[in-house]
Amino acid sequence: MTAKAKPDPLIHPITRLSICGLLAAGADWVEFAALRDAAGISDSVMSKQSVVLEDAGYVEVRKGAVGRRPRTWFRLTAEGRQALDGHLAWLAQLEEAVSASTQDALSLPLVPISIRGASKT
Amino acid sequence: MRDTARDPARVDPLEQLRVQRSRLADRMRPPWWYLPGVAIVWALFFAGPFTSRSFSSPTSVSTWAIVVPVLAACFLLQWGMTRATGIKAGPRLRDGLFYYRPGRPAGIAIAVVSIAGLGTEGSLIRHGLLAAAIVVAAFAVAAEVTAQQALLRAIRQDLRRGGGAA
Repeated sequence: MTAKAKPDPLIHPITRLSICGLLAAGADWVEFAALRDAAGISDSVMSKQSVVLEDAGYVEVRKGAVGRRPRTWFRLTAEGRQALDGHLAWLAQLEEAVSASTQDALSLPLVPISIRGASKT
Repeated sequence: MRDTARDPARVDPLEQLRVQRSRLADRMRPPWWYLPGVAIVWALFFAGPFTSRSFSSPTSVSTWAIVVPVLAACFLLQWGMTRATGIKAGPRLRDGLFYYRPGRPAGIAIAVVSIAGLGTEGSLIRHGLLAAAIVVAAFAVAAEVTAQQALLRAIRQDLRRGGGAA
């Protein structure tokens, strides 16, 4: 990963990270329902979080309609992509650090624990 | 709908993102009419040499009579696919050309088959071997549909891997 690892407080909440991560997956534009279903979130959460991302300039929104049904499409902006790349790099570093510390803890010698009174039985 | 994004059982955000991308990629399945539509478009395309031979009008007129419906059908198919899946992915127009790295092998295959198919068909028609030209056209259509399927597979893999992300 070439992006500079940097946590982004705006992307950190899991729902916003999901939205940005899905938009960065390789698609040009993703429709509201597709994004909502893939992220596994509700309509209201999706609307609320997408407005936050749009206000921050991380997501571009295009509204249209097919017949009477409104359709909203989303795309990640260059700014959003940069922030996401940095945040993902930071998360990956964090994951590595956590797994390294877990390995260290597992490699510690096991100390036998004596239970008082256990020898009587 | 359950908020799986907030599921406390899934604490690893990177792993969760992988699962969600996989779900998005699974949506990128073509509707039932897409591949038959692609086959019809390519059949029209490979019918070009036959029509230019039988039409008494100048070749340019018969060529346009094929090219315009083919382009219109391509546009309609792509529009329908985007509407049905809710995902706009694949080759993108940049500097007047279409770019899409994951789909490059399929794109090259489509170009090679169309050029080779048209060339072979034209040559066979000139030598009066109409039946052989029809067989070549049928094989070319089948090859183009297979290449189109490979392109869709490449798009799905790219979405699953998160190829557009870092």
